[in-house]
Amino acid sequence: MNFNILIAGVGGQGNLFASAILAEYFMSQGYQVLAVETIGAAQRGGSVISHLRVSDSDLYSPLIPAGKVDILVGFEILEMLRNFRMLATDGTYLLNDYKDPTVLCNMELDTYPSDENIREALQKSGRKGYIIKATERAREAGGSLLTNVVMVGALCQLSLLFNSREVKRVLTHKSPEKVRELNLKAFEAGGVLALEVMKQSPTRGYLGQG
Amino acid sequence: MAKQEYLMGNEAMGRGAVEAGVTVVTGYPGTPVSEVLEYVSSYPDVHAEWCINEKVALEIAVGASLCNTRAMAVMKHNGTNVVLDFLMHLNYTGVRGGLVLISADDPSGISSQNEEDSRIITHLDAHLPVFDPWCAHEAKDMVKAAFELSEKTELCFVVRPVTRVCHARSQVRLEEIVVLDREPSFVDDRSRFVMSAVTEPKAGGVLRPVLRHKWLNEKQPALLQIMEESRFNHVEKGEGSIGLVTCGIGYAYVKEAEEILGKKFPILKLGTLPLPRSKVIKFARKMDKLVVYEDSEGVVECLLKELLYDEGIKVEVAGRSGFLPREGELSATVVLQSLAKLYPELQKLIPETVTLDIKIPVRTRTQCVGCQYRGLLHALKLMVRKTHGIVTGDIGCYDAGSFPPLELQSTIYCMGSSIPMANGIAYSGSKQPVFAIIGDSTFFHNGVLGLLNAIHNGVDMVVIVCDNGTTAMTGFQPHPGSDTDVRGRPAVAIDIAELATAAGAASVQVVNPYNIPEVTKALKKAVRTKGVSVIVASMPCYLQVRRTGNLGFTPRKVTLDPDRCNGCQICVTYFGCPAIHFSNGKATIDQATCVECGMCVVVCKRGAIS
Repeated sequence: MNFNILIAGVGGQGNLFASAILAEYFMSQGYQVLAVETIGAAQRGGSVISHLRVSDSDLYSPLIPAGKVDILVGFEILEMLRNFRMLATDGTYLLNDYKDPTVLCNMELDTYPSDENIREALQKSGRKGYIIKATERAREAGGSLLTNVVMVGALCQLSLLFNSREVKRVLTHKSPEKVRELNLKAFEAGGVLALEVMKQSPTRGYLGQG
Repeated sequence: MAKQEYLMGNEAMGRGAVEAGVTVVTGYPGTPVSEVLEYVSSYPDVHAEWCINEKVALEIAVGASLCNTRAMAVMKHNGTNVVLDFLMHLNYTGVRGGLVLISADDPSGISSQNEEDSRIITHLDAHLPVFDPWCAHEAKDMVKAAFELSEKTELCFVVRPVTRVCHARSQVRLEEIVVLDREPSFVDDRSRFVMSAVTEPKAGGVLRPVLRHKWLNEKQPALLQIMEESRFNHVEKGEGSIGLVTCGIGYAYVKEAEEILGKKFPILKLGTLPLPRSKVIKFARKMDKLVVYEDSEGVVECLLKELLYDEGIKVEVAGRSGFLPREGELSATVVLQSLAKLYPELQKLIPETVTLDIKIPVRTRTQCVGCQYRGLLHALKLMVRKTHGIVTGDIGCYDAGSFPPLELQSTIYCMGSSIPMANGIAYSGSKQPVFAIIGDSTFFHNGVLGLLNAIHNGVDMVVIVCDNGTTAMTGFQPHPGSDTDVRGRPAVAIDIAELATAAGAASVQVVNPYNIPEVTKALKKAVRTKGVSVIVASMPCYLQVRRTGNLGFTPRKVTLDPDRCNGCQICVTYFGCPAIHFSNGKATIDQATCVECGMCVVVCKRGAIS
């Protein structure tokens, strides 16, 4: 068994916490785990990518080879698009319908792609995936900082490798007490979101609606 | 079952040193390797210290080693450049207590100014033994072995991990921590530890540098023997007569490629320098061709060619000299593509990738919202426009001022080079005023000498020190201007303004970088002053103090009046706060991102922001 998850987001979205929860969950299930994050300058607002590799045998490259990502998790639209070539032919993307425009886009010195262009490009790619409003749901659950946990909750619906009860146990254990209840609520909300969108056909989602 | 812990490669190396009974660990922060020392500092019995620079760090470690204690110095490749002078003597003297130098490389320059291969300095130049780990676990084992072997051979051992080894997290087996029952003892041996051009009467009047050089050369056969027997080198059987020679992380990518292709190749897995000569010869004799996978220069490729030539073995050797990309880090993809060149039938097994038909804007690094240096950079940008000045830059957060939209600094090389380069511009006869901008940690690291030189020579220039009391860019490590050490204990903070005053700078001004009018006034005075003018922009990093409420500004909600905004974009191109958005000819404030520092109120000349 080999399973590769790539989480793409921007600094401050809790990418590393999500990766740590998943890593601990898989280790608790007896798997080998190999993970690496792109970490550089401490400044806010840069791209952050976490590679997480899970296997029942030896793992080698800390970076997932291009075209071998089973689930591509996008905390932010642009960052997922940037890493789209990593996705396997039979892989699935899970995208948070959330835009964090670059500094230069905000200044009209660069252009953030339009919803229509994004939707078209994704459709043309032939890869399957789901788009959910995780940040919006996180705000309802207590704050946008919960986006990462909502996404983890949704991710757990995408593969039989996840045992939601066990992931919740790890989440409980790894959450600081102050936010434990909120995290659990966000996790549940993520699961519900994923199930809702999965009832519709793949590649359907909310992008740009409302 | 042995105890396992989920550790980062850096933590694993720190753990290896602790298990080996290390007493002193020194270093200077730098991505990718900062966490080694931070990890070690969690063990109270080890003296862990962030030093002023890498040279000082290695010198301290060697002092400890000469007292027969185990010591380690940790740095990134840029730092290994800084220690070169000392290293070229340390190789001649050797050590007493086990001494390990971790010299981490950053192929592709993911968090660095270059992507050099420090094995060229440590092995080809200094002739020291080098271990090149492929994973966190091997990195830990190598650090431990390096301590043992360093004592056995009396040589400094080098461990050279690359970024992906430093940062990868995996389950690492923990072993017992050895407590070395040793009293520190310094034993005089001037013929070794006094490196000087003196003749040695006992050796028939030969000069000491020649004798010590001979000593180093005579160590090489013993090193060869050690590497011959080392568990860090091995051979794997496979199909075909093209041998894949992997060095360090190269092994991970080649094994990955094997899994993807479902094939086994003949592999010579190398983790040591010098090379295990007979092992290499035995492997090469069976092959028609060798391909060397190494980050990031063809160091082993060249050594192999030399070795095979000497042995009269006619085997083609390919690698970084052109068969593989000459720049950038290795990856499974690079290995797969190279294998498809060798075996065209494998092409169809390379995982398919899809390229989206869409233009994806880049995310450039910039000052954080609330960063005190944005005010300083803005004031400097306006001053430069007015005076046609030239700004030389340095390494640190404030370097983002050189990127769009600000495009302020015109040069960035290496730690501390901003001041001497500004000095040289002043000497060129250019009439443009020159400004050097440098951070506090960088100033202490290697900037202070350039400042003393400029002050001594009365150069007309402005030196701006961004003083936030920490090494912010690498994750808030203390430096000699900080009032605490790596464990948070009180330390003597050296005052940069007092230092500059004592050195005799023509003028020294301390400003609050949030206060744009104050900075502008200071810059005006500095430009008019003959000789070196120093401006110290003092304020703790916003990210560090934002939760304490101890800010350098009084938070105020700012709003933008669209009727007053004439779309001049000064708030964009001369300030560039990510909380200010611009569209349809008007600026707006993104209240969700804004931290209410209020600097933009001064920036807008139309009074649209209040």
